[in-house]
Parts: sequence; structure tokens; C-alpha cells
Amino acid sequence: MSRIELVDLRKEYGNVVAVKAMDLTIEDGEFIVFVGPSGCGKTTTLRMIAGFEDPTNGEIRIDGTVVNEKEPGDRDLGMVFQSHALFPHKNVADNIAFGLRMKKVPQDEQAAKVKEVSELVRITHLLGKMPAQCSGGESQRIALARTLVTEPSNFLLDEPLSSLDAKLRRELRAECDRLHDELQKTFIYVTHDQEEAMTLADRIIVMNQGEIVQQGTPMEIYSDPVSYFVADFFGNPAMNLIDGEFVKNGDSLEFKSAHFDIPLPAKFANATPGKGTLGIRPENVGIGANSGGATIEREVELVEPLGKDTLLYFETEESRPFVAVVEGTEDVKRHASVTINFPDDAIFLFGANGDRIR
Amino acid sequence: MTADSTLPSDMAPQLNSRAATRAQGVRRFKWTVLSPLIALMVFILLPAFVLQGYFSFFSFSIFDAGDDTSFLSYFRASEWVGLDLWKDALTDDKFGFAIIRSLLFAVGVTVGCFVIGFALALLMYRPFRGQGFYYIFFILPMLTVPIVIAYTGEMILYQNGPLNDIIGMVTGTRSDAQFLYKQEVALTTIAAMEIWNWTPFSFIIMMAGLASLPKEPQEAAQILGASKWRIFWEVQLPLLRPVILLALILRFLESMAEFPKTWGLLQGGPGSATETIPVYIFITAWQFFDISYGAVLSYLVLFMMMAIVMSAIWLLRREKKSLDAMYETKPQEG
Amino acid sequence: MAMTKSQRRISYAAFRYLVLTFWLLVVAFPIFWMVSTSFKPDREWFAWPPVYISENATLQNYLAVWGDVTTHSVDEQTGEIKTYAQSLQRPWQALGNSALISVIATTLSVLFGSVLAYGVSRYQILSEGRMFQLLMLRMVPPIVLVAPISIWYSALGLLDTILGLVMLYFLTTLPYAVWMSKSFIDEVPREMEQAAEILGASRWRTIWEVVLPLVRSGLVATFLFILILTWSEYLLALLLSKAQIVTLPVELSKYQGSTEGRVYGRQAALSVGITLPLIVVGMIIRKHLARGFSFGMVRR
Repeated sequence: MSRIELVDLRKEYGNVVAVKAMDLTIEDGEFIVFVGPSGCGKTTTLRMIAGFEDPTNGEIRIDGTVVNEKEPGDRDLGMVFQSHALFPHKNVADNIAFGLRMKKVPQDEQAAKVKEVSELVRITHLLGKMPAQCSGGESQRIALARTLVTEPSNFLLDEPLSSLDAKLRRELRAECDRLHDELQKTFIYVTHDQEEAMTLADRIIVMNQGEIVQQGTPMEIYSDPVSYFVADFFGNPAMNLIDGEFVKNGDSLEFKSAHFDIPLPAKFANATPGKGTLGIRPENVGIGANSGGATIEREVELVEPLGKDTLLYFETEESRPFVAVVEGTEDVKRHASVTINFPDDAIFLFGANGDRIR
Repeated sequence: MTADSTLPSDMAPQLNSRAATRAQGVRRFKWTVLSPLIALMVFILLPAFVLQGYFSFFSFSIFDAGDDTSFLSYFRASEWVGLDLWKDALTDDKFGFAIIRSLLFAVGVTVGCFVIGFALALLMYRPFRGQGFYYIFFILPMLTVPIVIAYTGEMILYQNGPLNDIIGMVTGTRSDAQFLYKQEVALTTIAAMEIWNWTPFSFIIMMAGLASLPKEPQEAAQILGASKWRIFWEVQLPLLRPVILLALILRFLESMAEFPKTWGLLQGGPGSATETIPVYIFITAWQFFDISYGAVLSYLVLFMMMAIVMSAIWLLRREKKSLDAMYETKPQEG
Repeated sequence: MAMTKSQRRISYAAFRYLVLTFWLLVVAFPIFWMVSTSFKPDREWFAWPPVYISENATLQNYLAVWGDVTTHSVDEQTGEIKTYAQSLQRPWQALGNSALISVIATTLSVLFGSVLAYGVSRYQILSEGRMFQLLMLRMVPPIVLVAPISIWYSALGLLDTILGLVMLYFLTTLPYAVWMSKSFIDEVPREMEQAAEILGASRWRTIWEVVLPLVRSGLVATFLFILILTWSEYLLALLLSKAQIVTLPVELSKYQGSTEGRVYGRQAALSVGITLPLIVVGMIIRKHLARGFSFGMVRR
């Protein structure tokens, strides 16, 4: 059993606040992913849990015990670093056995455990090699093995896949998922890649500027973002976000932008008028008037077939185009004029401060 | 995970106590590491400085002590003279000439080592056939003991030695040049030996420096149409400035202290042509056994060297800062 | 004059080989002369024209210096019989002293210096200013302190002892040891140490098992450089030793002052013995030397 609690956790570097008053409970066996842009405080949080950074304020508890005072080696944690941090002067087997040796595990037991864990991550053929002879993906597996072998209750992973290419990343992502299923231990994973977060996490913690802005299952984060920031961060292609103004029009509210004006669904009738942003996910944009909701006519600027899906780009005055995803079977020509449909339940509104308007 | 280490969370100083233990650990580490160094400085160097200071005001020569060579007898035999010796030293022509000789020697050696070392490094830093072969040979002089160089130098340079023979073969006339026992050239000859000895040091530093230069800016400059010379002058040289300065300063200071060659070979002669600072102090304190005058000279040299070292340090720090700033990494992400 | 690119390349290569070969000769000749002279019989030491490679090569010089053999030779002009003293002092003993003193001092200096450098690199146990002040230990010429040190040493009973020289060699080489090893330790990624830490390694264990092995190559270069300095040190060895602790450079200098006039062959034979150990060590570790002498003034 292992539950990690962060209570009112704060970290300052001089005048810079890296993490602002964070409260979070991580349950045993959970796969938690901290995600956010560079400098959002996610790595700092992880390093505070690991014990490499001392919090300016607040507590870290593992199993109800405050561990602020404990050294990293005494916290029952395993950590995988971005750079793998394999010891280049020791062969793979010695790298893996290092933690066991530090814990004074008997020799024969060490050998058995190294063997067991290297089978688990499928690197038995590498044991006699030096780290320099291993590829990036292999190194990452070795780093995992080195962490796994000491059987910590919690695993901390600091952007472990960011130094790998796309294909390897997918492969090792699946590996992480499998290991979590098999071990049933707590995984705390830091990444700036929303796709990794979506595919791996039981619970995603979205951070920005040192604060948790939203937490929840991947589906909750995707379908119910609390702010412009979250909506923008998750989803690929990213949500269409058009800046404009909400204007009262009789009983209902209307959205006016430099690009188009549409009436808003009835549920927003009581929202405050003013500047704001309208958002709609590309996959929810309807092409051809068939699902109710507002419609506009536009010319297709660019067609990008991806096989299963096709992306349609429409020009806007915004810095990025308006995108719609349609089935790959749909045949839309460049410069054709199509009807764009905004289904009522697919529309998100965000106020001028970025908060969601419901 | 056991809960035996539970600290009552309301204990006031708990937040910073790990930081405090850690700081304490670092302090213990610091003093463990520094204590032998401090002990040696306090028990060996400091008393030496104090003695030096004492004898610079109390005149004493080993002869004064007579047969009694115990430590305390030195003090009994010494006699208060106040600032007299200091005044003597400041008007001592021989001392002045020794300083000038040492400075000239050091500057010559520094420039010589640097120019040759840098030129070789420029010719060699890109891989070519035989690079390893030349490299091995070029570091050999540094592995040769200075006093060996001095005596071997004498074997080569004496009047009937091979150098005159070779000069004769090249020019076709019998050469019997005096390289050592002639006032005008003696110091230059010693300097040449010193340059031979220590060019490898500059060479290795400059090789490391050149090898470390990023390739992209040079290639960028090449694409932009800069000539080799211009790339060297405007791209490579500025990036190498800290290393160059380091090579120059270290060499200058080490050659100010050069002793085995000047003393071992010529003992300051012919005449006083190779009487550099170390040789002059040596003669004063160890040939005339005038400990007190030697102490005064030593203190004056110490002050001078401190001033030189301090300005050197100031320069090096400035260069290191600008180097650090150039490669400043962004703060850790996250 | 327009040259094609490949013409320029060839002429540059020719120029390079020419210059490098010239310097090669300059470097090699004194060493060649020393070795060649060490095998010359005494009548060829001063021969004119000089003998470059003796046809009567002999081991006489080596035997006279390193062996316990007294050699005699008859002066061809006067018929006088000269006795070249067998080893003036005791070269083997001097070799032992030199080896002991320089290896102990160098090892201490590198070990202690690298741990100190680790402390500076990771915990700033010395400020940058102090680090530069440390250089003073090296940069002040030893001659300015050797007289009072000798007086003080005689009071402490350290004159003419191995310990006395080791302490001073340690002090005067420490700045190089610290600065050189710091430039390597700075490059060891912090994550490497943190990985060891989270696996339960203590600070000292991390230093021994992770940090120092990672900078091994640099430490080897540092070791050699400091060994060069301590092995060949002359001034302190000359003035702080009397009869007991004679090092090789001091031993060699005794031949120069010997009353029998110049004994080039003997000097050369001894010189070869002094030089050989360093050259052997240097050749063994030459591949480590390319790094190592930048004192942090170079970024890789």
C-alpha cells in the first residue's frame, strides 16, 4: 500500500515561484501523468517528491508519513530520468544490480533478481554489454530495469521517452502501460506530450504556471476542459479556437468574430456578453448541414488526406486555420464551397480570462 | 514502508531541518576535505612566512650562529636592524637587473611557447595521416626532466658539439659559436631550452581548445564567403581567447620561477648574465648564507608576484565569466 | 595565382608536413643525442667532428652509473689513469626516493584535489574567488619561501625527510589537481549522481563509484601532469635534502659539479634513466592526454 499526498506544496527559486500551493492525493497503484508546457512546475513537483528539491513550504506524505526529511534513497521510490542516467562505466548487468548492491542484497539473490527483471523488460541479451553499445530504446529499458529491480512502491518517470524517436516512443509507451498493469504499483509520469498523457494516464494532472489547472481521467480532460488553456493543450489536431465577442440578440446570445457570426445554443442565453472565445473540436465540426446547429458557408483552402480521416483547412484571420476532420471516404475538393455546421453540444465558450462559460 | 519515522507534523522547524542536516553534511564534508590543506598551510607555510618576516628585520646570516645550529640559536644570533635591509634591497642594482632579466626571460619564453604551440596546434588539430605519430613526439619534451634538458643542452651546444657541426654542414664553414658561456646569448639560450621544454604544454592546451570549437559557426562563416584567415580571426580566435589567456598566464608565471636550467647549467653566469630572480635569491641565501637579505628580497618578489598573479586572476575570472555566460544553459525545464 | 581546390589542399598538406617534420627533428634531436651519448665510450664524448652514432657503442656508462662498477680509463695524451668514481651517490637509492616521493605526493594531490574539486563543483565549498586564490600556492615561486622553510623544517626535524618533501610537493601541485579535475567533474551530469542517490548510494559511495570513474581519463591526465612536476622538481629537493633523501634530478646535478670535469657519457646514462620512467608512463596514457589541460577554460 502506498499513497502519496502533497499538502500545500510550494517551491520558490528566489523570486520565481515554480510551484504554487499544490494539494494532491495519489492513490496506490494509480498511473498519474503530470502534463503541461515547459516551466509549468511539473518536473519540480516530481523532483520534490523524489527528494532532490526541498519544498519551500508544505508537506509530502507517503503512507501518511511526512517524508520531507528523508533522503531520496529512503523514500521507497524508483526514478527513471530523461537522459536515462545509466552509468557508462558499468555494464548493463552491473547497472541493474547497483541498487541491490547498495541495499546489501546477497550476491546470488542479486543475480536472480537481475535475471528476473531483465526478462520482464526483455533485455536479457544486453546484460553483458556496455551502455554505450545500446540503442536509445534499449537504454531506456535498462533504466527501467534498474529502477524495477529494487521493487519500490512508487515509480517516478521524468519525461522518459522524450529523447526517443516517434516510433520507439509509441513502442515504449505501450511497454510502460504493460508494466503498470503487471506490477500494479503507483506510476508518476511527467511529460509535455498530451498524447502520452492521454494514452497512459489513469488520471491526468494538467499544470500551468505552477498550478494544477485541471485533473481527471483522459476522457474528462478531453471532453470537459475547464479552460481555454486545457482545451487548447489536449487533442490532435488542436481544438479550433476563434476569438470574438458574445453579443446579446433579443433573448439569445450571438457570437461575432472577424471571421463569421453565428447564433449560440439556447443554454448559453444567460451568459454575460463581452469578449471571449468560441471553441469546437475539429472532429465535431459538421460538414454539410445535417445535424442541427448553426451553419456557415466557406471555401476549403487545403485538403489533407491522412487515410482514415481527411483534414480540411479553412482560412481565418486568426493565426491558425480553422480545421475540420471528415471521414477519409468523403470527397471534398480544394476551393470547393462547403457548409460548416456547429452542433450545439460541441460548442465550448471561454470568457476573456480563459475560463469556461457553461 | 514502515511508519516508524513519523514526525509529528506540527513540530515547528521540520520544514527546513532536512535542508539544515544537508547543509550540516556539506559543512562536515567541506571541513573534512579542507582540514589537511589548512593544517599544512598553518603549520608549514605560515611559520615560514613569520620567520621570513622576522629575519627581514633582524639581521642574521648562518655564519652568525657559529657552530650552534639549533633552531633557537638563530634567534640569539640575529640582531635588530629595522628597515635597513629593505632600504638596501630597494637600491640594489643587481636585484633590479635580476627582475628585468626574469621579466624578459618570462615574456620571451611565454611568447615563444605560445607561438610555436599554437602554430603546431593549428596545423594539427584536423585529422590527417600521421597525426598520432607527430602528437606523441611533440609531447615528449614535456616528459623530459628540466635538469636533464639543461645538461643535454650543454652537450649539444658546447663549442665542439653537434649544433655547431650541423650549422657548419649547412653553411659550409666551420662554426664555433658560443651559445652558453657568452654573456650576450646565455640567457637567450636558456630561454630556448625552456621553450623547447614547455611548448608541448601550450600545444596541448591549444589542441584541446581548437578541438572544442563548435563547427557550425565556422561552416556558417564559410558559406557566407569568409576567407580562412577571416574565419580564424573573427570566429576561432575570439572563442579561444580564454584558453589562450590561460596558456599565456600559466606559462609566464611558471617561467618566472624557472630555476633548474639557469642554476644547474650556469649558476647565474657568465658574469651575471643569467642571474634571474630565483638565482639571485639563491645566491644570496644559499651561497652567501645571508638569510635576512634573502628574506627581504623574497618578500619584495612575493609582493611583485602577488600583484602579477592578482591581475592575472582578475583577467582569468573575467574571461571565465564571459565564457560561462556564452554557454549559459537555460534553467531546467518543468 | 589561381589554384584549384585540390591543388591548394595538396600544397597545404606539403607545407604542413614540412613544418611538422622540422619541429619533429627539433624535438627528437636532443633526446636522440642524449641516448646516443649514453652509449659512447669516453673518448667520443668530446670528439670533433662529433660522433652521432658510435661505432664502438658500449654499456660502460650505464654500468658505471647504475651498476656498482668502478671504471678506469687511460688518457691517451698524458697516459694518466683516470678513475671515474662509481656511482657518485647511489642512483638506485635516488631512483627509489624519487619514485616514492613523487608517486606519494602525486597520488595524494590528485585524490585529495579531485574530492575537493567535487565539493567545489557540487556544493561550492570554495567560492570562485577562493579557487583563484588557491592558484597562489602554485604561482608564487618556491624560491621565496625555501629559506625559512628549511629553517623551520630543521626545527621540526623534517629536513632531509621524505615527508618534508611530500608535503611541499602536495601543496604546490594541489592547485593544478583541483583545477584540472574540476573541469572534468563539472561535465558529469547531475542526473547520474541522482540516479545513484535514489538507488540508495551514500555521498562517498557516489563519488567513488560514479563520479570519479566517469572522470577517470581526466584524472589520469592530471596524474601524469603532476607526476611530471614532482618527478622533475629540483629546487626544493636540492635545498631541503642533505645526505639521506637525494632525488634523481639532484643526483644528476652532482655530476655537473664533479671535479673530474665533464662526464657526458655518465650524465647521459643517468639522464636516460631519469627520463625513461616518465616517457613510459606518458606513452601508456597518451590517449588520455588530449583532454585534460584546459582547466575549465574550454567547453566541450
